[in-house]
Amino acid sequence: MQASPEGETKASPLHMAEVLDRADMTEIAAPATRFAVGTAAAPGALRRFGRWLGSDRIFPRIPFLLVELLFILVIFVPFLLTIYISVLKWRANRPFETAYFSGLENYEAVLSSDLFWLSIARTFYFAGVAVVVELVVGFVLAMLVHQCTRSKKFYTTIFLIPMMIVPIVVGYNFSMIYIDSGPLNQLLAPFLERFGIDPHIRWLSDPVAAQLAIIIADIWQWTSLTFLIFLSGFSALPRQLIDAARVMGATPWQNFWRVQLPLLKPAIVIAVIIRSMEALKMFDPVVLLTFGGPGTSTQTVAYFLWEQVWVFNKFSFGAAASVLLLIMFSVLIYVGIYLLIRQRSTVEGKV
Amino acid sequence: MRRLLYAAVALMIAATPQALADPVADRAVAAAKDYVKSNNLKEPKLTILLSSLYNNSFPDFAKKWEELTGVKMEIVPLGYTDIPAKIMQEGVAKTGVYDIFNDFPYTAPDAAGAKVIIPLDNYAAKYKPDFSGVADGLKYQQYHDGKLYIMVNDGDHLLLVLRKDLVENPQVRAEYHARFNKEVGCPDTVAEWAQQAAFFQTKEGDIRWGVKFEKPLYGALGYRSINFSYRHFPVYMKGLLFDKDMKPRINTPDGIAAIRAFAASVEHMPKDIQGWGTPQIYPFWASGQAYSAISFPSIVGFGESNPNSVIKGKQITCIIPGNMIDGKLVRRAPQAAGTGYMVSAYSKHPELAYLFVQWFTSPSVSDEAVAHPRGFWDPYRVDQINNPKIVSRFGAEMVKTTLENTKYAASLLMLEGNYEYFKILDNNLADVMNKNITPEEAARRIEAGWNKVTNDVGRENQIKIWRKGVESGIYLDKF
Repeated sequence: MQASPEGETKASPLHMAEVLDRADMTEIAAPATRFAVGTAAAPGALRRFGRWLGSDRIFPRIPFLLVELLFILVIFVPFLLTIYISVLKWRANRPFETAYFSGLENYEAVLSSDLFWLSIARTFYFAGVAVVVELVVGFVLAMLVHQCTRSKKFYTTIFLIPMMIVPIVVGYNFSMIYIDSGPLNQLLAPFLERFGIDPHIRWLSDPVAAQLAIIIADIWQWTSLTFLIFLSGFSALPRQLIDAARVMGATPWQNFWRVQLPLLKPAIVIAVIIRSMEALKMFDPVVLLTFGGPGTSTQTVAYFLWEQVWVFNKFSFGAAASVLLLIMFSVLIYVGIYLLIRQRSTVEGKV
Repeated sequence: MRRLLYAAVALMIAATPQALADPVADRAVAAAKDYVKSNNLKEPKLTILLSSLYNNSFPDFAKKWEELTGVKMEIVPLGYTDIPAKIMQEGVAKTGVYDIFNDFPYTAPDAAGAKVIIPLDNYAAKYKPDFSGVADGLKYQQYHDGKLYIMVNDGDHLLLVLRKDLVENPQVRAEYHARFNKEVGCPDTVAEWAQQAAFFQTKEGDIRWGVKFEKPLYGALGYRSINFSYRHFPVYMKGLLFDKDMKPRINTPDGIAAIRAFAASVEHMPKDIQGWGTPQIYPFWASGQAYSAISFPSIVGFGESNPNSVIKGKQITCIIPGNMIDGKLVRRAPQAAGTGYMVSAYSKHPELAYLFVQWFTSPSVSDEAVAHPRGFWDPYRVDQINNPKIVSRFGAEMVKTTLENTKYAASLLMLEGNYEYFKILDNNLADVMNKNITPEEAARRIEAGWNKVTNDVGRENQIKIWRKGVESGIYLDKF
């Protein structure tokens, strides 16, 4: 909204052009003319520029242009810089001025690093298990809370709390919970001892248990998010359709499976995408609980990158790894979106 | 007139011990005042990136420095695991936000390579710090590539602590003597320590020496987790990690034996030891559930002063156990956690920053720091045994042992890329401790990994710096 000198409120771009056209605006434009060519034609040129700027063709594009500029500045330029650094030979334990062009040497080093591939595989394993459990548990909790007639707000608040806790606090608490003489093992002891299993599970120092420990911590914190998404999905279900299905004789299972679940598909897709994207970047629980150990058994790809760059100072190696990961994940996302679109068009075709 | 003269002389005598108490500190203070005056600095300030361990003690010294010189100290505390990355970031960003960095000496090589810290030799020549009374292994690790880059103020090298009540128990002594034909007590070698650990390992509910053990007694405690194993491994390694051409010595019978012994020690430690750091190890030691621990010296203070400790007055501190090399006992106490102070290359007042470092590491001020009740600085100067405050804080026996131990204090790797060397060692030691690979396989992997790092950083330069370091005596061992 623009306020004209007369105090009128103008909303459209056309109005702006009119305003710029007015003679009294030359006063506002006057200082600018001093920086123009210094000829009498300048105010006219400015007026024409103002008119062009406010035209239907140009004005709607200005916000888009600003966004694009911002994109170029904060994403595209650093991305180009990353590519540039990835073809240099540079460890930060030498000044940048000493870096030199090394072609694809860093890419070769990344691709031949076992640790890189293992950390990718481990990331998919962690993300896969964590996201599936978070989806199932979040869905069940949302369904139960949605059906609550009383204390719905109470349960919603309780289930959302983990997501609101700062990750460092979650990490610290879990590190205490996981001590071999800690509360988790004490809780499990009666069950484990019954089966003759040593109840002193080494949650943070046994390679397999440490992986599970990280997955559990992630599930505990982020099931809240899937719960929230599914709860909003359940709340948005059209009541008439569900009632109509019931009136037409659908059993509760049929009502859920044939009516509610298909309607919840968009919420499920959103939950899967958001959580998968986040889980593939899993870093906090790894640093806070195990520092990637024991050995490298809990190193995720985010941890791998962090360590290579910020601990080992291998900036150009890290840049090459980042570029390769971007390509890999882009392909993955593209395939996901393609499948989604194909499925949607199939459904629409059927309709 | 005569009275006036007497009064003046008396005043001078009274003031003399104060003024001459520590010329190193006094020089720094006087020079700092001159610097502020000659540069006409209004509200002079230095910013230090400080390990958050010192949050409760360093501000007292910052305040004192400000009182003496008018230079304010701004403290930016950070966890010690994050400080090296922050220093290297400053090397790239060149913001000039920090004047002084506080971290382990082995952070200096990367920082010096990146030119984010400056050599202090010129300032040292001008203002003359005092490193006398600092053991060689600590003194020379202040240097990298022959230049002074960091000034240490902490003797945090590893020592062994035993349970006095168990060692002095007549039944224990008799049984141990009967079995091994020697007295139980401070072991000379790591092999003997392992033997004692096995001897004392006791299951929950067992009755030994007339005592029923309600909880198990573990024979040993030690740091075996990520970011700690590499700091403890040199205790087991006979000699240097590389030969003079930077060929790793890990894949040799000595190296493999060291890996095997290091990994085997977990048999007598709590099961979860690979996931433990100081917050778990110290309270566990104080709970009386272990016979021995190789740790940082402050574990003794924790055992004495923690309100929940059941081992007050029941600790014996021992010099680090060693290894027999060619019939000779060789001990190495890695300087695992002692920190020092570096001056940023992007500081607006590097000379003033240096002067603070000289003042803080001077004999008198460092004594105050070590004696500080909430500090984490450990004794490191030989004459600190004579400081009553330090003795009262740590106990005479512990100060004596830790200062004796400084003779064996050896630096960790002072090479560029050292955090990568360390991590490769850590990862493979963890795999051996988890029985995923054999010590031989670990040695092969470590050797290959270390060679890769050496090549990546620049073999020629690494060899040059490695040789200089060894010759200077920072590792105590020679080629």
